[in-house]
Amino acid sequence: MSDYVYVTYIYTTAQKVWDAITKPEFAHRYWMHTNVSDWKPGSRWEHQHGDGSGKVLIDGTVLESSPPRRLVMTWSRPDHSQEPSRVTFDIADYAPGIICLTITHDQLEHDPAMAASVSGGWPKVLSNLKSLLETGKTENIWLTKGKEG
Amino acid sequence: MAQSSFVYVTYIRSPQQKVWDALTKPEFQKLYWFGGHQESSWKKGAEWKMFMPQHGLTDSGEILESDPPNRVVIKWRNEFKPELKAEGYSQCVYELAQEGELTKLTIVQTIEKENAQFIQAVSGGWPRILSSLQSFLETGRAHGDTRMPAEQAHE
Repeated sequence: MSDYVYVTYIYTTAQKVWDAITKPEFAHRYWMHTNVSDWKPGSRWEHQHGDGSGKVLIDGTVLESSPPRRLVMTWSRPDHSQEPSRVTFDIADYAPGIICLTITHDQLEHDPAMAASVSGGWPKVLSNLKSLLETGKTENIWLTKGKEG
Repeated sequence: MAQSSFVYVTYIRSPQQKVWDALTKPEFQKLYWFGGHQESSWKKGAEWKMFMPQHGLTDSGEILESDPPNRVVIKWRNEFKPELKAEGYSQCVYELAQEGELTKLTIVQTIEKENAQFIQAVSGGWPRILSSLQSFLETGRAHGDTRMPAEQAHE
């Protein structure tokens, strides 16, 4: 029950979705924060606050990296007060011009507060990503109700 | 009580009333629901039926609660796959809320049965339908729909 899965279909390319997740300036536009790493297996990654402070909100290790199709990483509180969870991005072709993006956030059993936070956060982030890729428009998603994730 | 459920939340850059209309009016549904549509007055106690072009009647039930454009609860059973029909009625809640420029849409579908095949089936369907709805309302171009010029699809 504690695994979180979100699937969305987007008029775009796999490479654009990959870039949107892994390139800081791209992620900043719809996630409002950035993801920083060299995205090689075993490398550290950081989810940094988008206010320019570089404050680390989440960190972890890249477990698998197959651009532009699959990225797996651990997802930890920066104080490492809880066991890390795991996030998997799968980017698949669905129909001509449309890709299917599946986010699986699992291993959350030990951290119910994180599970609640990310289940509120992923729909905001991924709806905003779809809007950006299809229309060029985004919203500051963390200004509306709900928790940051 | 043992149950299965599916939850999907999406944020659509469109006024809440437009999202409600897109969810409840057949002329909009046909444009993004892969050609399918539903027949109902959407009033409490009313019949509710879904039709898909390739199958005819696919699902049926009743409106249990209705508070346009905020919330509707549908008693919902599959009608064309015997193994899904045998699982009986589910309950599906649509909740809409305006949050700034966006409408937050939450779909929760629940059935009183553990590991229900019906919930597995709708878990595959809802993300396709709601992604198509978001594209339709934000760009005028639904998924699998090449018929509508962007201008017409909005109105």
